[in-house]
Amino acid sequence: MRAEVVVVGGGITGVAVAYFLAERGFERVVVFERSYLGSGSTFKCAGGIRASFTSREHIVLMKRSIELWGELSRRLGIKYARSGYLWLASREEDLERLKRYSSIHNQFGVSTRFVEPGEVEEMAPALDTSRLVGALYDPLAGKASPFDAVHKLYLASREMGVEYRFEEVGKILVEGGAARGVASSGGITEAESVVVAAGVWSRQLLEPLGVSLPVEPEPHHAALTEEYGRLFDPLIIDLESGAYAVQTFHGHVLMGVEIPEQPSWEPGERLAFLSKVVRVWSKWLPWLPSANILRYWVGHYEVTPDHHPVLGPVGSIENLFVATGFSGHGFMMGPVVGEELASWVASGAPRTEEAAHLTLRRFEEGRLIKELAVIG
Amino acid sequence: MRIAEHPILEFKRENPHTFAFEGVEVEAFEGESLAAALWAKGVRGLRRVSWGVLGPFCMIGYCSGCLVEVDGRRTRACLEPSRPGLRVGRIGDYVPRLAAEQPGKAEELEVDVMVVGSGPAGLSAAIVSGESGLDVHVFERHFRPGGQLVKQTHKFFGSGELFGGLRGFQIAERLVSRAREVGVRIHTRAPVLGYFKEGFFAVSEGERLLLVKPRAVVVSTGAVERLLPFPGNYLPGVMGAGAAQTLMNEYGVKPGERAVVVGAGNVGLIVSYQLLQAGVRVLAVVEVMPEIGGWLVHAAKIRRLGVPILTRHTVVRAEGGEQLERVVVAAVDERMEPVPGTEKVFDADLLLLSVGLTPESRLLAQMGARMVWSPELGGYVPYRSEYMETSIPGVYVAGDASGIEEATTAILTGRVAGYSAAVRLLGPRRDLLEKREEALRLLREARRTPFSARVVRGLERVIVRVAQ
Repeated sequence: MRAEVVVVGGGITGVAVAYFLAERGFERVVVFERSYLGSGSTFKCAGGIRASFTSREHIVLMKRSIELWGELSRRLGIKYARSGYLWLASREEDLERLKRYSSIHNQFGVSTRFVEPGEVEEMAPALDTSRLVGALYDPLAGKASPFDAVHKLYLASREMGVEYRFEEVGKILVEGGAARGVASSGGITEAESVVVAAGVWSRQLLEPLGVSLPVEPEPHHAALTEEYGRLFDPLIIDLESGAYAVQTFHGHVLMGVEIPEQPSWEPGERLAFLSKVVRVWSKWLPWLPSANILRYWVGHYEVTPDHHPVLGPVGSIENLFVATGFSGHGFMMGPVVGEELASWVASGAPRTEEAAHLTLRRFEEGRLIKELAVIG
Repeated sequence: MRIAEHPILEFKRENPHTFAFEGVEVEAFEGESLAAALWAKGVRGLRRVSWGVLGPFCMIGYCSGCLVEVDGRRTRACLEPSRPGLRVGRIGDYVPRLAAEQPGKAEELEVDVMVVGSGPAGLSAAIVSGESGLDVHVFERHFRPGGQLVKQTHKFFGSGELFGGLRGFQIAERLVSRAREVGVRIHTRAPVLGYFKEGFFAVSEGERLLLVKPRAVVVSTGAVERLLPFPGNYLPGVMGAGAAQTLMNEYGVKPGERAVVVGAGNVGLIVSYQLLQAGVRVLAVVEVMPEIGGWLVHAAKIRRLGVPILTRHTVVRAEGGEQLERVVVAAVDERMEPVPGTEKVFDADLLLLSVGLTPESRLLAQMGARMVWSPELGGYVPYRSEYMETSIPGVYVAGDASGIEEATTAILTGRVAGYSAAVRLLGPRRDLLEKREEALRLLREARRTPFSARVVRGLERVIVRVAQ
């Protein structure tokens, strides 16, 4: 069978691209996943969703993504809550930084606002506010379950005819300057278009084609406590350290913070992370040292020089598209990226000008995008 | 209820005391787990969740069915030794309120050989490395060493060299005392949290964190009982066959009054007999296959005592409110699907699942050992050399963690791993190499039973031959 579109990678991006392609009427879409769905970066992420960025591209795309998260949640029953983001400042200089961010958010129509300690305590009853200098709240932001999102998109897309193959793609086949399909452990699959959504591993797939993706595998660590009753609704961010914490739908606290790391394809667990993340969050969650940590894992941010994704056509090869380089925001962007890539594949153009800014070409032309608020 | 009389076992029951569960006094004895004492008291449902009441499934620290709050901290009741005056409660919709304690202490510990798990494999590895003069530390998360041997009441086959004629719990006692005799340090209540890239294993022992830097490691973490998917499988009273063995053989606590056992392999048959010995009525043994899987002598023994063995049957659901009240089984067709209209209902308060084990190999996977899925060996297992070395040099695997077999092969793979660690650290000494060859010879012999054929096939795919 000749496929219309082959999608390489069964993370949030791959399943979302497949879902939106099928919704547009593509009937022969094949997704390749070498392990299990979500096994790359998606199931390792915190599930936070926000538009409160500081670049036009991120804000515009994420506002649309949030609309889509709402729709997908209603249509497919994905666990999603518009539970907000709360940025916590414990130092005056962090408060100044928040004010700058907030004015950019508001300028692009994302209504973040400063909240009083009383309101903080209402939305985060388990938080100790004694060191709070100021807090910025983003009511548009929220969270979704990465497991539920991938599972429901998989079921819905399969229902619409998308085929899933659990095979590793070793090679993208190119003939006469155009993508012609893929070679996987199961053989050759011909396709009219190929979308590479293989996270940081996209780089290795495209390298043999002479396409150099500026993405680096940056190790990021996360840990999860046991389950609790309601602790805090919004995803919380400690400005001083950039650490984040979110209470999952099951009640676990999932938290992360940066530790010194070099790009690595095989990152490992470090005790330094556990002690730092507990120390940092003890400032706001003083009971944390008595909590049991159930799980700790390391994943990748696939980081680009400007912390924005690489989307759309790969200039030099026809019918070849890419969606990677999300720099830690791939899960939240999943729906809008699915919609934009489906549009690109179907019509040769994205839906928005902001998506068009994010092609690989910007690196060749030196038109990098500026983003100030990267966390955890 | 506690077992008053038992044909084989004598329960010591020393230092009676009480602790409080949800404000009610519970009687316990020294060396009992909270879970066992609670079960003896008749407390079945230990956890309330939004969709029901849960009880213990495994009794050895894997499931979270016995998660309780003890003096303000959450812990598994099966891993917590009873002490006078403890305050134990259900965790419910719990919000933590404890303020930060003193920052914990971390200490480094350099050892020759680190052994993870103190079952037959781990202790055997520790003994032979200890005998070679190495500094050996065993880390065990339970409060008593011995692994699952402590609940084995049947006599082992084989020669004296392999403890033939002794019962499992007696073998455990011998291994533990021999290990101590040769200077092995056994750390109990000391779970290994993982391997960290900084170059150590973190072990939680009491109030301190031990950062263990070993020169060789033996991972002998055992196995986990499998659960079957069916409605009601979470109900208190549905548990692994091994969990019932823990209750009745280790603690002398009657696991129930009327039992249904799923699985007619050796474990299912042996546990059915042990239930009868403990005074439990066994209503039926249910086996999905057309034939009984275990030794026929075991099957004949329970049949003589009037227990029906229903082959080509499976459990379709468990029913009950706060605990198991009924078990519904049905005949299956060629595709193993239940046949409507063939349901039988048993009024049972105990449903034991004896449907196999899965290697507990997660520590090796986390360390980055190359793993492979092996149906014959029960799940994910590490590739290893015939000397039990994994893909990580100096890291060995032994016992069920390397593939599901039984205690004798666990002892032998443990010896092989222990000698390999010694050879690595002390050089290829002739006495060590000879003893290792002897252990390998005994291992080959132990695998000559018809039950080992499948294991041997599985091993062919996971053993990477190395040149000496």
